Amino acid sequence: MYYLGIDIGSLSCDAVLINGGSTIVASAVVPTGARNREAIARATDEVLRIAGIARADVAAVVSTGYGRDRVEERLSSVTEITCHARGITALLPGTQLLIDIGGQDSKAILLGKEGNVIDFAMNDKCAAGTGRFLEAMARALQVDIDDMADMDIGAEGKQSISSMCTVFAESEVVSLIADGAPVNEIVMGLNRAIAARILSLVKRTTLQYPDMKVAMSGGVARNAGVVRAISFLMDREVSVPKKPDTVGALGAAMIAKEKNASRRPVVSA
Amino acid sequence: MMKEYFTDLEEGIQGAIRGGNSSPKKFYTLELARLGRRLYSGTDAIAWCGITAPFDLLNAMGVTSCFVEFIGAMLASTGVVGSFIEETDHTGYSSDACSYHRSVSGAAIKGMMPVPEFLIGTTNPCSGGLAVLENLACRFGKELFVLHIPQNDSAGNVRFLADQMREMVAFVSRITGRKLDNDLLRKTVENSNRACGIMREIFALARHVPSPAASRDLSNFGIVMALFLGGEQAVAIAGAYRDEFRRRIDAGDYGKSGGKFRLLWIQNRIQFRHGLEKMLEEEYGTSIIVDELNDITWDDIDPENPYDGFARRSISIPFNGTMARRVEHLKKLAREYRIDGAVNPCNWGCRQGTGARGLIENGLKEIGVPVLNLEVDCVDSRKFTEGQFRTRLEAFMEMLATRPPLWR
Amino acid sequence: MNRNKGVIGFACAYTPLPLIHAAGFQPYRVLPNVDCPDQAGHLLHDNLCPHVKRVLDRAMSGLLPDLKGMVFMNSCDSMRRLYDAWKAARVGRNVVLVDLPAVATDSSIKFFRDELEGLSRTLERWDGAVIDEASLAGSIGLYNRISALFTELRGKANRSALKGDSAKLQEAYNRASISSPEDCIDFLEALLKEDADIQQGEAGVPVYLFGNMLPEPEAFALFESCGARIVSDDLCTGSRLFSAIETGGGDMLLNLARGILERPACARTFSAERPGSLGDDVAAAAKKTGARGVIGYTAKFCDPYIARLPGVRESLKREGIPLLLLEGDCTLRSIGQHKTRIQAFVEMMR
Repeated sequence: MYYLGIDIGSLSCDAVLINGGSTIVASAVVPTGARNREAIARATDEVLRIAGIARADVAAVVSTGYGRDRVEERLSSVTEITCHARGITALLPGTQLLIDIGGQDSKAILLGKEGNVIDFAMNDKCAAGTGRFLEAMARALQVDIDDMADMDIGAEGKQSISSMCTVFAESEVVSLIADGAPVNEIVMGLNRAIAARILSLVKRTTLQYPDMKVAMSGGVARNAGVVRAISFLMDREVSVPKKPDTVGALGAAMIAKEKNASRRPVVSA
Repeated sequence: MMKEYFTDLEEGIQGAIRGGNSSPKKFYTLELARLGRRLYSGTDAIAWCGITAPFDLLNAMGVTSCFVEFIGAMLASTGVVGSFIEETDHTGYSSDACSYHRSVSGAAIKGMMPVPEFLIGTTNPCSGGLAVLENLACRFGKELFVLHIPQNDSAGNVRFLADQMREMVAFVSRITGRKLDNDLLRKTVENSNRACGIMREIFALARHVPSPAASRDLSNFGIVMALFLGGEQAVAIAGAYRDEFRRRIDAGDYGKSGGKFRLLWIQNRIQFRHGLEKMLEEEYGTSIIVDELNDITWDDIDPENPYDGFARRSISIPFNGTMARRVEHLKKLAREYRIDGAVNPCNWGCRQGTGARGLIENGLKEIGVPVLNLEVDCVDSRKFTEGQFRTRLEAFMEMLATRPPLWR
Repeated sequence: MNRNKGVIGFACAYTPLPLIHAAGFQPYRVLPNVDCPDQAGHLLHDNLCPHVKRVLDRAMSGLLPDLKGMVFMNSCDSMRRLYDAWKAARVGRNVVLVDLPAVATDSSIKFFRDELEGLSRTLERWDGAVIDEASLAGSIGLYNRISALFTELRGKANRSALKGDSAKLQEAYNRASISSPEDCIDFLEALLKEDADIQQGEAGVPVYLFGNMLPEPEAFALFESCGARIVSDDLCTGSRLFSAIETGGGDMLLNLARGILERPACARTFSAERPGSLGDDVAAAAKKTGARGVIGYTAKFCDPYIARLPGVRESLKREGIPLLLLEGDCTLRSIGQHKTRIQAFVEMMR
């Protein structure tokens, strides 16, 4: 039997399929686009195709992410906070603190031994410290968002970005370019500004983070520069799983397996 | 428009009550509608005030008085707040400010705030609220009296505030020509004491496990009750709640929520319509059983020396003074109500209430109570994206489900 | 008098500096313009006044001199929250919150006088000297001398005769707010003796500046480089802190209380008899100083100013005085971003 986790985020729809032994059999990431249901169908078809199994072989589906209630065949829906916690514990056992930065949310999640959530803090409503913020800054710098990941290399941390308001920071970046500040210093400044925001979320959940095993998930975890900046400010190694954007979907698949096991047989009247 | 709205509301509720559909919340809303109707009647002597003004004293002088934030909450609840806030924005009033105050300012600009006889500003709870009263006094060309609420109840501070309240009575008399009748003052104090006594009973009942209080029952209750103090209606509303809670406990009637988790709501509620409380009750068996701003009671006021009592009451309000006091109040509520988790809406722009978000969180965590910070604008529904807040609340519920029980 | 009892920190322009000095301490303003990591958000909220957050950042980063204590004024919600957070960040250290009425009436001045008396007891407990009428009068005299020197300096800056112009004046305000009054008098007197080089080119457009926190001399240099000449200011970090206290005999504490409450006011203090008068006051001050325009500079999230700025705008419009409102977060960078609009504002008035 197989278990499917689907994470419908603002930018991408991720699916992870695991087998009865909790091993990942297939995963897929497709753009969410304007129609959630289409993205869900495409991601599902993709993992079934990779695994070479039929829909009927999937015993249970759990959905997560902001579009979690759109998955009609779900056994249940669970928030991405809980799913990321479960997912990271499966991938990097012993993780005590998870930093998840997605397109529109960033979170610090404090984990128990079993991958249960002990506490969490999420960003304020503005985009500061999220993927969206980085996208806006890449635009201001006129660079590709993917290229930004290594652009801090060689910088010495001379340039600080003082404003975390996306609009202010954007004009700050523009004026830094005009002043002739090196791009790698600006990028490092931006990464550290995000890291400072994240550290503030972390501190709201725990002050014991210097002794903790820290991991990162979400799309922004692919940006090595941001990971380096967080690691620098926390003075701590930050581990990133191979596919950081599918951690939530994996957690959902694990929960699907668990919930299926405790499911009572349906008794018809 | 407003007069009609409140008249219709009053008639609608009266009709419902006559038709046998009555509840304490209906009695409470009926009194709110009546207050609104009087404010907009064009005949009553009215006063716009700060939240911690001694309304019983003003009621005894026959002045229909109300804190201005009431108008903000009402505009939010009727879903029309956006255009009023925009009106304020056009004057260059920063959108970083509290939406209660921005909507009230907009209502004044649009001519939707009746012209008062006078205004009473209070330094507690917030700098922004006092500033709005100053602005309204300027706009209406009416006199403003400012009550400075000291930070603690030292003898000197109580005397200072009591003297200010005496001056306030003289100020009101000078403007309205009404004297404060001693017998009526005594009756007012007795009514306030009776209402406060019944409120203590209500809160004792709400602490019951499971709690008879459903999420919406007491929303805005404490802060609005202050407006009715001194009159019979405060006693009647409080009595209705007490009797209903007692009945629910006796009948084992705990509504839709099974009382799985007991929540403490910090500061004020979200004032516009939304589905979060319903979701908590129906999907998670969870109720908000106490609000920080509800369970606030005070020592009986001595009818022989009422001004000292009024002064002590104003000073004792837990959101007056330093954060240490407020955190102690929250901890006390969490213990007494056996709270599983607390929700802080962190009303956008509220420096007084939200400014110390981290200190509140740390204080409650010290006794093991987790806190969820929602970061919501409680008045401006245009900024509300229910999905985001659902996710935060659902994750909080999922987290509570994995925690060992705190109190059992 | 027994001096050198140590340093007492403060953060608000309503702080009774002569009282702290009379107790033998040196008042030291914890200014926000010191570079340190942003961490106040974890105790407070991110949308709180940046002045307050930066002062707390300094405390949390240990970027403070050795303080014998910290005196906070209950001037606004943000300051009160700063006091709360300071206590949490510096557990067990001396700290006090002095209440401050929002209006100056006879009874509130008397109340504030009693608060000051309470503060003098607190300072005694912090090993300060016992304050008497004579020592307090002496300290008020020193600060009045500073006030007079600043008036002269402003006059000199107005005549473009001060070397370094208003940036230099702001530097002097900053230095005065962290020095002993005795040292302060010495360096202000020396500064008055310096003369500016003869300036070439177009004279700056006279501008009146009001608002709250703007301690950065670079900001003033920016105004001037954009063609504005600051003829007078009403800022928490400028003239307000050093305005004279009338002594005139009688109870010195009462004189001090009255002097502080009746000073040119920050938006948090107002007159109940003249509600909404800040706008007219700004317009009158601008006219009196011969300014052609007004720049309002406020730290973001400042509720007392947010609520009053529309009124100021209206008053100035009535008087036909152009107004430029700028908002900042107590960083130099945020000031630099205003360059274009300051230039355009000056071009508009030329």
